[in-house]
Amino acid sequence: MNPFALAYREQQQLFLYDKGYLAATLLKAGGLSTLISRFIVQFFWNPVIALVVTALLLALSSYMLWAFARTSRRDWRSLALCLVPACFVGASLSDNSLHFDFLISLILIEAGLVIYKNIPSRKIFYGILITVVLYAAAGPASLIFALCALIYVSGDGFPSFVRALTIPAVAVVSGLVSYMLGGSPTLGHALTPAFHYNLDTAAPLSHWTAWVSIPAVYALSRLKNRKIILPAGIVLFAVSLISANAISRKIERKSNITGFEYEYYTVNERWDDLVQSCRRHVWSPGTANYMNLALAYKGKLTENIIRLDNRGVSSLLLIPEASSVDVRVAHIMFAMGNFAAAQNVAFNAMFCSEGYSPSMLKMNAQIELMRGDYDVADKYLSLLSKSLHYKKWAQAQRRFLWDEKAVAEDAFLSCGRKDFNLSDGFAMHVNPIDEVMLVVEANPYDKRAMDYTLSFLLLSKDIAKIHAFVDKYWGVGALETLPPAVQEALVFYSEYSRNFEGVEPVSIEWCLSHGVSPSIVQKFNAFQTASLKSNGAAPSGYRDTYWNYLLYKQL
Amino acid sequence: MRTSSICILMLCGLLSSCAGKLDVSGTLPGQPEIYPDYRGVTVPQNIAPMNFSYMGEDPAVLLVDGRGGEMLFRARHGLFRFGSRKWRHLMEENVGCDISLTVAVRQDGSWRACDSFNMTVSADKVDPYLSYRLIPPGYQGWKRMGIYQRNLENYRQRIIADNSLSGENCVNCHTYCNRNPDRMLFHARAEFGGTFFIDGKEIEKLNTKTDSTISALVYPYWHPSGKYVAFSVNATRQSFFNHDPNRIEVFDTASDVVVYDVESHNVFWSPLTRSSQMFQTFPTFSPDGKWLYFCGCSPVGNMPDGYAEAHYGIYRIAFNPEDKTFGDSLECLYDGEAEGKSASFPRISPDGRYLAFTKHGYGNFSIWHKDADLWVIDLSDGALHSLTTANSDDVDSYHSWSGNSRWLVFSSRRDDGLYTRPYITHIDENGNESKPFMLPQRNPRRFYKDLMVSYNLPEFMEGPVRVSPHRISTVMRKGKATDVTPGQ
Repeated sequence: MNPFALAYREQQQLFLYDKGYLAATLLKAGGLSTLISRFIVQFFWNPVIALVVTALLLALSSYMLWAFARTSRRDWRSLALCLVPACFVGASLSDNSLHFDFLISLILIEAGLVIYKNIPSRKIFYGILITVVLYAAAGPASLIFALCALIYVSGDGFPSFVRALTIPAVAVVSGLVSYMLGGSPTLGHALTPAFHYNLDTAAPLSHWTAWVSIPAVYALSRLKNRKIILPAGIVLFAVSLISANAISRKIERKSNITGFEYEYYTVNERWDDLVQSCRRHVWSPGTANYMNLALAYKGKLTENIIRLDNRGVSSLLLIPEASSVDVRVAHIMFAMGNFAAAQNVAFNAMFCSEGYSPSMLKMNAQIELMRGDYDVADKYLSLLSKSLHYKKWAQAQRRFLWDEKAVAEDAFLSCGRKDFNLSDGFAMHVNPIDEVMLVVEANPYDKRAMDYTLSFLLLSKDIAKIHAFVDKYWGVGALETLPPAVQEALVFYSEYSRNFEGVEPVSIEWCLSHGVSPSIVQKFNAFQTASLKSNGAAPSGYRDTYWNYLLYKQL
Repeated sequence: MRTSSICILMLCGLLSSCAGKLDVSGTLPGQPEIYPDYRGVTVPQNIAPMNFSYMGEDPAVLLVDGRGGEMLFRARHGLFRFGSRKWRHLMEENVGCDISLTVAVRQDGSWRACDSFNMTVSADKVDPYLSYRLIPPGYQGWKRMGIYQRNLENYRQRIIADNSLSGENCVNCHTYCNRNPDRMLFHARAEFGGTFFIDGKEIEKLNTKTDSTISALVYPYWHPSGKYVAFSVNATRQSFFNHDPNRIEVFDTASDVVVYDVESHNVFWSPLTRSSQMFQTFPTFSPDGKWLYFCGCSPVGNMPDGYAEAHYGIYRIAFNPEDKTFGDSLECLYDGEAEGKSASFPRISPDGRYLAFTKHGYGNFSIWHKDADLWVIDLSDGALHSLTTANSDDVDSYHSWSGNSRWLVFSSRRDDGLYTRPYITHIDENGNESKPFMLPQRNPRRFYKDLMVSYNLPEFMEGPVRVSPHRISTVMRKGKATDVTPGQ
């Protein structure tokens, strides 16, 4: 299990301390398991807590199964067997499409089994009763309870077994009723582990294994030959552990596990950790997006944009297919000051299968504060105030509601509000470069927007636009000093413009009067000499220069 | 002593006598701030209890004075909650007249009364059910949405179609034939897409995209006979603004109006409703079924940049339901281009007297236009007037008439500027509107604050839809779609 994948679950829900929310969750089929799981997952904002709690719950699940399966308190022989289901449950939880209530539902039915075991009489009646209650509380996992209860009663002879068949029959009927009442979209969801998935996702075999292994393990634990239970348990546990590990790795390969890590650091604004994390992983446009985002927040984007292996503007913003919702885009647009575009994504990403995304709610609340739409901001802050982890943040933001002076005095919100003063064009309509340039035009004091604009221009190799941009903004707003890569671009453009007809020549003096250091000019002369000697190859010693990127790097 | 002072003293005495232990010793200037703002509204006699909250922090009580005498209600956390039985009696006793409501608040150890306000109980009943789509006001996503029905005589809301049962797809454009819940249709887009016709307990799934039309069938309106449904077909795009307070612009790059024959599964049209010389959309039949109304404008070629150049008017064309033929000319009822404005959602009252529409600056998707207001054309003389009392500074858009033509429900963003809420206004026989009231809830302040979805397309219904959401979702997922074909 990857701790960041577990932490990502916390971003897919917002547990609300609100009567309406609690009641609405409880009243659904499997409501208690959903409620408990959401309560637990709210603490997963810390990946270590997420991992420890999940491990403890898996241990609790094994213990409960053992408490049911053992013949006495000292019956250690069945313990290894009882660890088997937890291996597959743990592996299944690596898949974020599987809701966490999968584990809780199993713990609930195991608790039901322990209670059932200790009921002295009328086993079938109580078996039926507990099955119905468990369906309401834990969903179709009550079928597992029913099967285990059937196995339990079958020890009393064939007639009891036949009578006890009513218990799984009641479980199936409960599922049918739930389906008929609209509690589950399909019969498959009402009666199988698919219940813990959204409609559009199929439950892999490993999740079925986790389910089926519980009655199987219990049946094995009741073998009359007690001597083989321990060795069989150890072998099965070992095989399960290896299989679960393989399944877990397969799931993690399929899912964007590094994305969970990047997302975790991003929503928690841990930019140094995000930089370190990006360095540890394979460089890709996605990794580049997060690395550059972190550097933008650290104020070091433009000075690193060429040093890193960025190739083209997709290194700054990789736009996914039109229909998909990618919170990465929201974070980057937000950093760029393109708040309308950020909100377009944040609005869609705010709704998750398990509730509201806290980070997207926060983003929407901040954007509404910038817009001055305080009623809407109040709505989002009220929602966040009902959670445990985000309450403090939300309450701190409330001081900005209907207080223009407080907004104006807050550096972040007032900067964002100025960014909004751009022309009334359509967001995400032309391209990210033109739109971030509009943000700079509206608010040249937004350093992140300025850095992103320069970085876009640098990576797109558009040196004419870099010249025009510096010509317009040099000494204005946040452009008080020029990053080395921009200086290099200007010196190159000066040389280029003086040698090509139709281009208005830009003198070195202009460059020197617009923030270019004389040392850069000297370095460029040396670069030209080295280039002539290198017969078309990239001259050594200039790897981190913009000239190398411009002339030798393939996009 | 002045008359007003005498009145206040009488009121104080009244409050004292009703409240028993309450000793009202003074007054507060003005009416109290309450949520929702039910001050001076006209309500149907069969509406659910109009609970509201006093927005101040002080303890508050409410004196309700009507024909049956006075009743006192204590606020709990500011909320005045009427029991359903008490409310029903109050409505029945005061049909056709006003009830007076006085809020008194406890300040500095003594009770002080605010100015009273009235609520008029109309003798005109409203249809007992309202259906609507609940959808996040997001720009493109539809992770959660559904079509719901609400009993207006209490607070019960039930699902008609919920996308959690059908792969989180988009469900939209629910509409009923003469508000009859047994004759309904709606669309589903994306996965499990199609148009779904409900006839009693039967559900039919249709594939409405044909080679001859520019899109699948979009905005619907039933012919009163139930034999036909007029649809628009639209090439629709959506863009969102960087800065504009309207946030989103939805526009057509082409659109036509066609009529679907429910029995033969054919669509047919007139050259005047399907013409490259005009964008046609939002069709509506007249209550007698002899006219087809729609919105139309000259084509705008440079979309999306030219979005503000589209000015839709309201047109009508004769329609013969017997032989499915159309008239040979269009009649313009409202010339949007001449006025430099635009009209959307023409809806004719069932008595055929008034045509209500949304008027706004440009384009056709008024639900994102803050200048969108409700207007009415008196079809007896063509006179046009704004429903000023019902309108607000924010979006007032999609509307539908009650069966007795006396109530108009519409969606408005006036509450917080983003989330649409349903408002109901009374329209008298002269076309005059009353101050609208927000759809009542058990605890409106809390309900609407917590509600993260917008009410979309409110439509009155005579009763509830009887087909279960489970059956609808099963047909959506497994039903075989019948292809709609073009031709007579």
